[in-house]
Amino acid sequence: MSLLCLPAAVIMSSVLQKLISPLASSPAEPPRNKVTVVGVGQVGMACAISILLRDLCDELALVDVMEDRLKGEMMDLQHGSLFLKTSKIVADKDYAVTANSRLVVVTAGVRQQEGESRLNLVQRNVNVFKAIVPQIVKYSPNCTIIVVSNPVDVLTYVTWKLSGLPKHRVIGSGTNLDSARFRYMMAERLGIHASSFNGWVLGEHGDTSVPVWSGANVAGVNLQKLNPDIGTDGDKEQWKATHKAVVDSAYEVIKLKGYTNWAIGLSVADLTESIVKNMSRVHPVSTMVKDMYGIGEEVFLSLPCVLNSSGVSSVVNMTLTDGEVGQLKKSADTLWGIQKDLKDI
Amino acid sequence: MLCRPDRLISETSRFSLRGLRRLQPSLKMSTKEKLIGHVMKEEPVGSRNKVTVVGVGMVGMASAISVLLKDLCDELALVDVMEDKLKGEVMDLQHGSLFLKTHKIVADKDYSVTANSKVVVVTAGARQQEGESRLNLVQRNVNIFKFIIPNIVKYSPNCILMVVSNPVDILTYVAWKLSGFPRHRVIGSGTNLDSARFRHLMGEKLHLHPSSCHGWIIGEHGDSSVPVWSGVNVAGVSLQGLNPQMGSEGDSENWKAVHKMVVDGAYEVIKLKGYTSWAIGMSVADLVESIIKNLHKVHPVSTLVQGMHGVKDEVFLSIPCVLGNSGLTDVIHMTLKPDEEKQLVKSAETLWGVQKELTL
Repeated sequence: MSLLCLPAAVIMSSVLQKLISPLASSPAEPPRNKVTVVGVGQVGMACAISILLRDLCDELALVDVMEDRLKGEMMDLQHGSLFLKTSKIVADKDYAVTANSRLVVVTAGVRQQEGESRLNLVQRNVNVFKAIVPQIVKYSPNCTIIVVSNPVDVLTYVTWKLSGLPKHRVIGSGTNLDSARFRYMMAERLGIHASSFNGWVLGEHGDTSVPVWSGANVAGVNLQKLNPDIGTDGDKEQWKATHKAVVDSAYEVIKLKGYTNWAIGLSVADLTESIVKNMSRVHPVSTMVKDMYGIGEEVFLSLPCVLNSSGVSSVVNMTLTDGEVGQLKKSADTLWGIQKDLKDI
Repeated sequence: MLCRPDRLISETSRFSLRGLRRLQPSLKMSTKEKLIGHVMKEEPVGSRNKVTVVGVGMVGMASAISVLLKDLCDELALVDVMEDKLKGEVMDLQHGSLFLKTHKIVADKDYSVTANSKVVVVTAGARQQEGESRLNLVQRNVNIFKFIIPNIVKYSPNCILMVVSNPVDILTYVAWKLSGFPRHRVIGSGTNLDSARFRHLMGEKLHLHPSSCHGWIIGEHGDSSVPVWSGVNVAGVSLQGLNPQMGSEGDSENWKAVHKMVVDGAYEVIKLKGYTSWAIGMSVADLVESIIKNLHKVHPVSTLVQGMHGVKDEVFLSIPCVLGNSGLTDVIHMTLKPDEEKQLVKSAETLWGVQKELTL
């Protein structure tokens, strides 16, 4: 997108022609790893900058309804293109700019207000999605969609329904961030790097997420074996408080700075990397869990999923306690309670 | 015994805590103690490549995330006066620790948190309003610097100071005066960003990546920056050699408009989104990288140019400088046309006109 509004003929005639002799006369190749970010709010832009600085795409497209903001954000990123390895950064209100995307990250929608629970956002965001999702699919029928907007599990279901895409191509960012926060906080208590603490938070992203204490380990040493009370109310060391801090952390950051963006942006870039580079890494993300763990409805909850260029190629069968399965079922019921009342999907 | 940190306990060579607990099974080891044994007797080494960012506004945080995503430091410290915002920002970054390679991310209103930094990036200060020129911000930001700079120096007397706040050339001078640092340790982000914008636009025109398009914008960061047309090249082929009119009024290709777009670029983005952040953040990380990794790379940054190119006053302007872990060690002597040097001298006079009225 040249910002110079001179006729191309004037530019072409002199320096360019003298300087450069074209070899390949065929039209430009389409992008191979195009990523689109829908919504250029704080979350969308944090996803964009994280994806760009990790060199994950050869083209980045931004879409939003706020045209001035959109153009400003695009220009600001383009001005940094010297420092990046993504040669094409484009933006438009019209979804034609998103054509041929491998991955579409949906961050559009209204954000949680201070004290507002994620579930309260629902109907507001469903209406936004009815405008967005069909447009995405129209221009990138083979893409994988990552839904970030909250309440993410419900909106991933909504996206799946509105898109008509197979379920392995619609992913919710889910508890990828909750797990990252959990691993960071647990690791801090132990004095190690977050990546050396292995722990999974599954289920619903938010207030009723499930920390799988039975799997928590460092170097394969199971923490529950060292401390059988871990995660219970009776635990003297109150490890359960760490999970509570994870649940509260989004609200806390919102209270302090008005929104969260950096952590979610980094977590989305992490998912993007697994998909674009066909890595088959396991991530806790929101996927369609009907017929697993006795769940009978079409709901999306986070489970350990293998992510690669197919999207969610498989799901790891986590061994959960009866209590943990019960929590998942309860979340599924709550989510279905909301989903069944949603209009026009 | 139970409240002593494990580290001290391990130093008692006669018996270990584990041994003691075998003797007295009523004493319960914590999960951490069962899992991890501390074996180092000395004090921990501490951070070797600490970067501090002063100011957690849009520019400061864009700089922080760019530095983090480029794995440039082993510790990042944030400082600001707005305590809630500061705490929220540091928490948000910490929550992303799993995806980063910077183990220690800290923040405080108190500058002691910045101690022993290798590089301190100063983004604090009021930002340009829509239509406001950078020079209008001056006195507001000088007063802020009178608080910030001495605090930085107190806790990191050997650091390299990088000034980003606008008007950057004047504020780099101010930081130099207030810090008492030698001139090689006070650097202004200067026209690093202007040059990046120019190379992006050049790349768009020529359908090349900006890193293959070479062009230097020097002098004042902002309205009166100087594009050095004679140096603009691709693969060493001088574009002015192909188009001798380049940069002049008579140029049919109107390359001069490209420079104008660079100057206007910031104002345009501010008008559209309220501020600029990503490009300046990435350009800051680019400079920090050269310093931390001791690259000896040449960047157009703001330095003391008294005695060069006919400049008589004690002012800071951007010229190509060599950056490494000692700071700004060398400058490149550009061969400038007479009117290019005249522009630098004129900028210097303007800046000096403002600087001499400041109370430092």
